[in-house]
Amino acid sequence: MGQKYNYKKAIRLFLYGVAMLTMIILLVGILNIVFFIVGILALKNMDIDYIHGGDVIEALTLTENGYVLAEEMEQEFVEQDQWAMLLDASGQVIWSIRKPEEVQEFYTRTDIARMTRYYLKGYPVQLRVWEDQIMVVGLQKDTVWKYNLEFSISWMDFVKRIWWYYFLINIAWITVLAFFFTRRYTRKKEQARIEWIAGVSHDIRTPLSVVMGYADTLEHEEGLPEETRQQADMIRHQSMVMKELIADLNLTSQLEYSMQALRREKVRPAEIIRNIVVEFLNDSRQKQLELDVQIASDAESVCVKADRQLFMRMFRNLINNSLKHGGQNDTVRIQISMWKEKGKCRIRYADNGMGYSEEILHGLRNRKRGASGHDIHGLQIVKKIVLAHGGKIWFGNCEEGGSYCLTEFRVTKKGF
Amino acid sequence: MYINEYKILLVDDEKTLREMVCGFLHRANFHNVITAADCRQARELFRKETPHLVLLDVMLPDGDGFSLFEDLQKDSQVPVIFLSARDEDEDRLRGLGLGADDYITKPFLPEELILRVKAVLKRVYRAKDVREEDVVVLGACRVDMGSGVVYWHREENSDTKETDTEITLTAKEYAVLQKLAQERGRIVTIDALCEAVWQEENYGYENTLIVHIRRLREKIEEDPSHPKYLLTVRGLGYRLI
Repeated sequence: MGQKYNYKKAIRLFLYGVAMLTMIILLVGILNIVFFIVGILALKNMDIDYIHGGDVIEALTLTENGYVLAEEMEQEFVEQDQWAMLLDASGQVIWSIRKPEEVQEFYTRTDIARMTRYYLKGYPVQLRVWEDQIMVVGLQKDTVWKYNLEFSISWMDFVKRIWWYYFLINIAWITVLAFFFTRRYTRKKEQARIEWIAGVSHDIRTPLSVVMGYADTLEHEEGLPEETRQQADMIRHQSMVMKELIADLNLTSQLEYSMQALRREKVRPAEIIRNIVVEFLNDSRQKQLELDVQIASDAESVCVKADRQLFMRMFRNLINNSLKHGGQNDTVRIQISMWKEKGKCRIRYADNGMGYSEEILHGLRNRKRGASGHDIHGLQIVKKIVLAHGGKIWFGNCEEGGSYCLTEFRVTKKGF
Repeated sequence: MYINEYKILLVDDEKTLREMVCGFLHRANFHNVITAADCRQARELFRKETPHLVLLDVMLPDGDGFSLFEDLQKDSQVPVIFLSARDEDEDRLRGLGLGADDYITKPFLPEELILRVKAVLKRVYRAKDVREEDVVVLGACRVDMGSGVVYWHREENSDTKETDTEITLTAKEYAVLQKLAQERGRIVTIDALCEAVWQEENYGYENTLIVHIRRLREKIEEDPSHPKYLLTVRGLGYRLI
C-alpha cells in the first residue's frame, strides 16, 4: 500500500519506457525493412537471374540448318555464363547453346519433372514451355540455391488470422521489458537518493547531539548570567527545530519514493492521541498550552491499520505547527476530537492560532510544489502520511479563528 | 545498591559525544562510567569490567552495534540502550525484537538519556533512585510500596489523641499506584495505566480501571470524591501529585 503514493510517477516513467522501447523496436524494424530492400536490390544488381526463356525463343529463328540464335542473345549467354537447350515433344534436344557436356541429349518425362523442381545434374535450370517444345535455360553449378515452398491454404488462413495476436504478443513483450527496465532504472536512482539523504541526516545528527547536549548543560549552569542561559536555551530550542527538520526530510524522501513500505499494524488512534497529547503536556518546557481531547465513546475502540511511528509524527507535526504560530492571548489552545462517521474514523484537529494563510492553504490543497516553505513543510508531511495510509485530509480555517485539519481513515475490524 | 552506583559502558566512535554524555552522566551522579570507541575495545572492557548497562551506538567503525549486542548477550543478560542516528534503525530496533531494553535516536537531550538509563536500571535491577523512597507520602497518608500497605495517621481534632489505621492495597490498586508514583507529577494515560496493570491485551479495561481508581482513592484520599493527590485529567488519564 505504501506504493500508492508513487503510482503517478511510476506510471509516467513506465509509459516513457514503453514509448522508448516501442520506438527502438520500430526503428529496428524499419532498418530491417530498409536492409531487406537494399539487399534485394543488391542481389538484383548481381544479376543472378536467368535469361528469360521467352526472350531466347523469340531470338531463335528456324532455318534449313536448324535453329539459329540472334547474335546479341548469343553474346548475352557468353557474358552471363549461362546455357540453354530446346527440347522437342519427345524429349530430344533439338537446339542448344553452351550446353555442359555432362547434360544428356534426351529427357524422359520423369527427368523433366525432376528438373523443374530441383537441379539438372547440379545445374540450376528454368523451364519455359513454347507450343509443344520446352526451352531450358541453365546457370552454372553452385550459383543458385533453390527450394520449393508449399503451404496449405488453411495454414495461410491461420497465419492471417493470428497475425494480430502475434502483433499483440509483441506489444506485450515490449511492455514487460519496459516495465523491468524502468523499474530497475528508477529503483537505482531512488535508492541512491534516499541513501544520500539518509547519510547526510545521519552525519548531522551526531554533531547536533553535542550541540544540544552542551546547550542544555549551559542552560542549567547556575553560575551563568540569566541572559547567557537564555541564549543557551535558544540554541537548544533551535537545535530541536533542526532535529525535527532532519527527521522530516528523511521521512519525506522515504514517503516520496516509498521504498520503505509502511509498517502497518493495528493501532487505536484514541490511544495514540492521548499518548502524544500527554507527551506535550508532560513536557515542562511547554507553557501556556491547553490540549483538549474528546473521543466519542463509539470511537474509543476504533482500530486503524497504520504505521504507529508515522501516525504519531502526524500529530506531533500538527501540534508543533500550532505551537510555532502561537495562539490568541499567548495561550495555545488545541482541540482534538475523534468520532465515527459512516463507518469511517474521523479526527479533527483545531487550534486557536491565526489560521493558515491563503498561501499555505493553496500549497496544501494543490499538488504543485512551488508554495513550499519552512512553515508548510511539516504540514505537507501530515498530508503525505494521511494519503500514504489511504486516508483523506482537509485543511481550513475555523470561523471563530484558528485553523483546523480534518482527517478520515478506514476502520479495520476490531481484533480485540 | 543505589541507582547511581551502577557501572555504565558507553560505546560510541565520536569522541566529543562520548565526552559530553560522560559529562552529563556525571552530573546526574553516575560516576561509574567507562567508554569505548569501537567493538574491539567494547568487548575488552566488557570482559574486564562487567558493566551493568551498555549504551551502544549502532554504527561503529569496526562493525555494527547489532552484532556486538548479540555477542554481548551470548554470555550475559546485560541491559542495552541503543543510540541510533538513523531512522531506519528504529524499524530494526522495534521489529527485530533484539531484546534490547531501549533505544534513543540522536540527537537527544541529556535528560532524555538519563531518564531512560534510570528506567532501565530500575526495571532490570530494581534499582532505587536516591530520592525515590519505598514510601509514597500523600499528606497524612503513607503508602509502603514494599508491602503495599497504606498507613493513616489522623489526629482527632479536640484532644491530641492519635489514631493509626492500616489498609492493604489489592494487587491491581498497587499496580496503578506504582505506575503513578513512578511518574509522579506527570500525566499517565489511561492506556499506559491499563498496560501497567493488565500487561498485554489490555484493551477494554478502561471501565475496570475507573473502578480501581475509585477504590484506590477511598484508601488514600481524605475525601475520595474531591481528590487532592490522585487527580483525573479529563479525557486523558490520571496524575499523582
